Amino acid sequence: MRPRKDWPNHGSVRLSCLRRGGMSDFPLPRIKDFLQSVVPFDTMKETELQRVVGLMDLAYFPHGEVIIQAGEDPSKNLYVIMNGSVRVTLPRQSGEELLVDVRGEGDTFGALSLLQGELALFTVTAQEDLLAFMLPDEPFRDLVRDNPVFKRHFSFSLARNIDAVRHAADHHTTQMTGTETLGLDAVLTGSRVHELMSKTLLTCLPVTPVKAAAILMTQRKVGSIMVCEAGGRPMGILTDTDLRVRVLAAGVAPDVPVAEVMSRSMKSISPQAFAFEAMIEMARHGVHHLAVTEDQRLVGVISDHDLTMVTGSSPVGVMKEVAKVSSLEDLAELPRRMNRVMETLLRLGGSAEYMLDVLSEFNDRLTVRLIRLTQNAMEHKGLGPAPVQFSWLALGSAGRREQALHQGQDYAVVYANVPPDREEAVHVWFSEFAGRMIEGLSSCGFKGTSEAVMNDALLCCRSEAAWEESFMAWIGGAHPPALAMAAKYFDLRAVYAETGFVEMLWNKIFNAIEANRDFLGRLRLAGPQTRPPVGFLRQFAVDHDGAYLDRLNLEEVALQPVVGAARIMALDQRLRQTNTLERLGAVTRLGLLKDRISDDLYEAFSFVTLLRIARRLEEGHNGKDEGAYLDPADLNRVQRKMLKESFQVVSKLQEFTAQRYAQ
Amino acid sequence: MTLWQAKLLNRATRLRLAHRRLPDEARANLSVLDGVSGRALASAQRYVVVDLETTGLDHTKDRVVSVGAFRVVDGHIRLGEVFNEFANPGRGIPVESIKVHGITPDNIRDARPAWEVFRDFLTYLGRDIVVAHFARFDMFFLNRVMRAQYGMRLQNLVVDTVLMCRAALIEPDPYGQKKGAKRCSLDALAARYGMEVPERHTALGDALATALILQRLLPEMERAGWKTLGDLVRVAGVQ
Repeated sequence: MRPRKDWPNHGSVRLSCLRRGGMSDFPLPRIKDFLQSVVPFDTMKETELQRVVGLMDLAYFPHGEVIIQAGEDPSKNLYVIMNGSVRVTLPRQSGEELLVDVRGEGDTFGALSLLQGELALFTVTAQEDLLAFMLPDEPFRDLVRDNPVFKRHFSFSLARNIDAVRHAADHHTTQMTGTETLGLDAVLTGSRVHELMSKTLLTCLPVTPVKAAAILMTQRKVGSIMVCEAGGRPMGILTDTDLRVRVLAAGVAPDVPVAEVMSRSMKSISPQAFAFEAMIEMARHGVHHLAVTEDQRLVGVISDHDLTMVTGSSPVGVMKEVAKVSSLEDLAELPRRMNRVMETLLRLGGSAEYMLDVLSEFNDRLTVRLIRLTQNAMEHKGLGPAPVQFSWLALGSAGRREQALHQGQDYAVVYANVPPDREEAVHVWFSEFAGRMIEGLSSCGFKGTSEAVMNDALLCCRSEAAWEESFMAWIGGAHPPALAMAAKYFDLRAVYAETGFVEMLWNKIFNAIEANRDFLGRLRLAGPQTRPPVGFLRQFAVDHDGAYLDRLNLEEVALQPVVGAARIMALDQRLRQTNTLERLGAVTRLGLLKDRISDDLYEAFSFVTLLRIARRLEEGHNGKDEGAYLDPADLNRVQRKMLKESFQVVSKLQEFTAQRYAQ
Repeated sequence: MTLWQAKLLNRATRLRLAHRRLPDEARANLSVLDGVSGRALASAQRYVVVDLETTGLDHTKDRVVSVGAFRVVDGHIRLGEVFNEFANPGRGIPVESIKVHGITPDNIRDARPAWEVFRDFLTYLGRDIVVAHFARFDMFFLNRVMRAQYGMRLQNLVVDTVLMCRAALIEPDPYGQKKGAKRCSLDALAARYGMEVPERHTALGDALATALILQRLLPEMERAGWKTLGDLVRVAGVQ
């Protein structure tokens, strides 16, 4: 309802009254000064800036108001934040939102969808009361077209357009951002699944014999075939690997129906989803193909290869290389490249969840590759192959899929039970193996190959029976002081498994906990009891007791308490998830946590994690090693505010678990 | 004050001036209330936020020295549609006033007389709703010139941010105990909203501050249940 909008505008005295006044040219120097401090407006000439200010509106949005809604019309303005902050989020198919960025004073938003002229990609919400300049569509486009500085600044976003990648030969864009960035960028946000998927589908019915399916694949020269119901609903996929592992190696007859040997863990995705999301899904489920479905009907397949095609050096690209590497030296080269990719990703505003997923997937693949290489090397040396089946477990942060870069790793080897007379020989082989693995991992840049870890690793190289015994002892309360060290073992996850030991172990753990409920309380008390600071004052963080801290260990005050609480609640509810966010999500669905607190925790945990990854990358850059410590003075206003709120949520969670798992 | 009353007064003025020869800007001003609907959303209206600086606070002898205004459309302040001009008061400026607004006799030596400035202002204003902080003060000076020049008051709707603030923000104070607290002053409101007011005490700076406050008060009024233009005029309208 804007009844007066179409009335003739009597008063278009745009700036005409200014000349006579005899004041300085733009009547409000402070506003001009502010814009002069904003990149890229800072490079403008005085007169030009005055002209541009005259084209701007100043808008106010109360906190909570949605300014740009993802999936709706492109933004009609470039926004420059004068005061307040906004959250930039990506709505996911599942309905949840992914926090992509928080922007504060002097930052801009809205440029991406405006310049692309496509539906807005992100939702932008005022996080605090917001005062923002709005530069309308037309003049902004003119600026980007005519002003090289603007062009460079905003084409960083423009490059998100898939077209830019296809025309990567255009020296302009390549020089400015480097192809590496460009490719990654495009995969992240520019393209949608339906643009990249293969539409020429090879499908067969579930009753098709395996041999017929293999012939079809050979004729069409493809590595996989989709198995669909008669109605078109995808049921699974049969890949080259499946043919090798589940048919040939397993000695299955070639005339059994494909339904019996196909992989049923086929994940699907909408054609409208972003390639970015496809990558997350693949990384999360460890699959190479996703079925693209519309109304339950198969319309295409997207593989990690399709993504690599457009990425050049993307996380997926680097990951793919892991499988090809044949020497330890080459393998050690990859983490460095991964760091660079991650850095770009971070700069582009990647989300914590996504980065952790990608990183741990990368680390897992690296580890698996290293296991193969190490086994080969040992056979070469005449030490022989592994005497029995074994699994390689990730513990602690690696087990939770939360390891940041350059972080210490906790791993364990568990080998099948053997008769006592062979035990000695088997242990010797696996000790040698573990030693070589640790060496390999450290040459790949994983930190902490000190003597202690070495010993720990040897200690963790044990048989299934020995492992089980330790867990039962911890749960039963045999060695209370050991529990503090033991907590990380309850985040175990198999990176490489030849046996079903891990599943069996989980069942035993849950049953044992059922019988020893007080274990959960003991586990809580064994963890760190530090409470996060209450807030910030100038360059200090302020403790609960009012003490000023000039160093802040984020790991200890904000992450560990959440990790610990999620672990206890998950064990309580017999949940096998190890990832903290997944654990929180699962206990929330079970009704243990309220939705609101769970949402807040999700944000807090993501934010602190992101901050921590950013610090790690920075340190890697500067060659500094400040450990987990953070100087509160280095934080900007928005970060302080976010951290403060995060701390509050963490405190709430601590109170909740303290009550529920009181001893 | 209601929209209906405003329209009635407007009708009377039109009857009275029906046969008088009027300059175009005055004739146009007579019809600004035509077609204005009280049911329209207040937040979607066009406003002109104005502030005047004068030679002093005595309305019998003081005169306008500066006029500053911003247009607010759909809640957005148009930085390009600014009205900012000095007026020649035809008398000296007392030192106390110079201390407040910083306008010196040198500034206004070449300025035009107030009636000419207001003539341009009328054109700039068009049909928009006038907003001012302590609107009665500004309207007194404006209407004095209007009456002398055209024989009528300004016909546009006038809304006072102080009244909006009292209605939507401040808890009722029936016994006047907190009267001296100046809870609705520009400075108090700016502090309440954590705003840094640039160029305070210039006509344009204060107009901007008032516009920023209007931006925040409109949603507050909506929250309090006053959503339409009719509501706004009833709560905060001034004559």
